[in-house]
Amino acid sequence: MTTPDLRAARAAALGRSNSRLAVALVAGILGVLAIGQLRGQAGVPGLSGLSSTELTQLIANLNAGNDRLRDELSDLQRQEQKLKEAHDRGQTTVGDLGTDLSRIRAWSGLTPVTGQGISILITGQIGGDGVEDLLNELRNAGAEGIAVDGVRIVTGSVVAGAPDGLSVENHAIGATFEIRAIGSPQILTGTLTRTGGVIAQVTSTYEAAQITVTPIESMTLPATERDLTLTDATPKL
Amino acid sequence: MSVVVARLRALPSVQVTLAIAMLVLGFLVAAQIAGEGPRIRYSTEERSPLIETALGLQAQQEDLKAQILAIRGRIGDLEAQDPGAAESLRRLYAELEAARLSAGLVPVTGKGLAFRLEDGTQGGGIDALVSARDVRTLVEELWLAGAQAIAVNGERVVASTAVLDIGGSILVNSAYVSPPYQVTAIGPADLYDRLRASVGFVEFVQGRVEPAGLQLSVAELDSVDIPAFAGTVNLRNAKPVESVAP
Repeated sequence: MTTPDLRAARAAALGRSNSRLAVALVAGILGVLAIGQLRGQAGVPGLSGLSSTELTQLIANLNAGNDRLRDELSDLQRQEQKLKEAHDRGQTTVGDLGTDLSRIRAWSGLTPVTGQGISILITGQIGGDGVEDLLNELRNAGAEGIAVDGVRIVTGSVVAGAPDGLSVENHAIGATFEIRAIGSPQILTGTLTRTGGVIAQVTSTYEAAQITVTPIESMTLPATERDLTLTDATPKL
Repeated sequence: MSVVVARLRALPSVQVTLAIAMLVLGFLVAAQIAGEGPRIRYSTEERSPLIETALGLQAQQEDLKAQILAIRGRIGDLEAQDPGAAESLRRLYAELEAARLSAGLVPVTGKGLAFRLEDGTQGGGIDALVSARDVRTLVEELWLAGAQAIAVNGERVVASTAVLDIGGSILVNSAYVSPPYQVTAIGPADLYDRLRASVGFVEFVQGRVEPAGLQLSVAELDSVDIPAFAGTVNLRNAKPVESVAP
């Protein structure tokens, strides 16, 4: 082989190794990107999009929610223990069944309930979405029973309509109406009326609406007239 | 044509491989950028402990809910095995089971709908994010159309359910859920027809979903499973008024 032939062969070999290097480099970058894409999809959903303030707010909400769940769990543990003891002694649990039934029916709105809470008087024009925003905030603040214009709010109840045509459960709501909620008056009032809270937001959308919150020592909310029996859904065993 | 093929054949295979690799690389880079969507991602170091705390609390919440569901099941079994199984007691037990079913404390199944609600595309700004109000609107329209049981990302919607914004995600029953949101509903066979005929639903689609570029898809299913509500049903301030039962 002559010198020029050797040079040409070396140049070709160098070109091939450069190309291989380029392919290897691109393949490496591809790999890193593909892993990043997969991790991004499988990672903690949403939390990476929260600011420190939002994370703090989330932690406060989770803490409060977990405290309520712990209370529920200890009540259920007591109830289970009591039932077990009665069962072991061969005693009837009719009293416990009755208490459980009464509690669930009251919670779901099938029986009237009484207790302390707040009254929210609304005058002026407000849309169904504005009223639903107020109800959502009441639920968030721990309201245990709510009625709008004397109609108990239960699962499936929706206040709907334009400002001059509101209705709930086939009941037309007048221009001035009251929302009553049972719960801690301090917590309910504080949550609704805080600066930038739901009342401020609703009245900025519905400028003609006037919303007044008043604590009430004792009130009674009626039972729902809605039939809560499920006809299209069956228990999943 | 034959000239092009001949030229392609003449190309060294390494160049073809490189070209294909570059194409895939371009695609992946584009996908990575598009995947960011309109949501902001924070990356400061001080957020790590907060994220860990939130994750720990979420895990605790899931554990507590699982325990509550399990213990409710055991209580139901104990009540059903009551030794004094007189007729009146059996009736009381049946009432209790019916009340639990109506209250959402029992998982249910049936024909229904499954919606998927997702953020809009990049560049849509804050309006292109699905908000708690959007999820609530969809849930309210489903109730008005006759739905009997609804869940949002596996959280049963009941009388006490609040749906709140938290950053770009939402809280349902105090549980943190992030997009895409799955809203499942059980209802009558014509639930979707009723929904489409609703002025409120049409306004939601035409006035909010479409202008903001949100993505709303739906499937009509023969079988939808909705879990039981795993939250608290204890009343601290409210007392039942038994004498005025309906």
